[in-house]
Amino acid sequence: MRKGDRFVAHLDEVEREVVVSLLEQTREFLAPVYREPTGDTFDDLVASLGVRQPEDPGLADPQASRDPALERLLPSAHRGDPAMAAEFRRLTEQGLRERKTANLATAIVALRAPDGDKVRMNLEQAQATVVALTDVRLLLGERLGLRTDEDADDLQDRLEAASEDDPELFLAAYYDFMTWLQESLTQALMA
Amino acid sequence: MSIAPAELARTETTEDAAVDRPWITLVWNDPVNLMSYVTYVFQTYFGYSREKAEKLMLDVHQKGRAVVSNGPREAMERDTEAMQGYGLWATFQKDD
Repeated sequence: MRKGDRFVAHLDEVEREVVVSLLEQTREFLAPVYREPTGDTFDDLVASLGVRQPEDPGLADPQASRDPALERLLPSAHRGDPAMAAEFRRLTEQGLRERKTANLATAIVALRAPDGDKVRMNLEQAQATVVALTDVRLLLGERLGLRTDEDADDLQDRLEAASEDDPELFLAAYYDFMTWLQESLTQALMA
Repeated sequence: MSIAPAELARTETTEDAAVDRPWITLVWNDPVNLMSYVTYVFQTYFGYSREKAEKLMLDVHQKGRAVVSNGPREAMERDTEAMQGYGLWATFQKDD
């Protein structure tokens, strides 16, 4: 819901925990390097915000741990010219990861500071959060095998036939919840 | 601030757009991104009108892809990076 440049979402504690947990998992997935806590409060804080430090070795070998979901979150930017795609990736991947993790961190901070069951955001936080929710949904969508529009129909069929304890049902429920949240926030931003 | 400011998006004038548009930025359809969100991104980043943004979004959805910008290669690389930052499936290529 939008009031001027303020955005308010009603989310109870369980809902907030689900969203924060998914945001954190996505941030961890997109973070260039997992950083062990250093013991230095400031460094750990900076690292926890997804801000990389200059000496960070970063993406020396990005192919080494390439996950299909990463291909969706950071896709090849040129179809048909691998050399140009590789050059683009070399120049942009670190920056894209930094901006994505910063968006996710912004959303996490806002969700961790609720006012009762109200999550309040200013315009900047709302703009970062709607992008962060996209990356969460892209990651969940990849895990659910959503690559084409037909896959979405197939998933619906699978879910209808699934048993109650099928893990895919939980994943799909999270995905649907994040979809609802993103749709609501997008509508509010466009209002 | 992680959102690309709209003023970065288009610096070309009408004249140089006509003679210098050998490269294009494409956005491809995917089953995850919401129609509303894709429209929002086109409006926010490119500064397109709601009408133009919705038309491009529908082209992506129905035709599988749409050319969202054209211009010099550097500008198309910048647009592609921005679209990927928003989570859209964007590529750039020479127009043919």
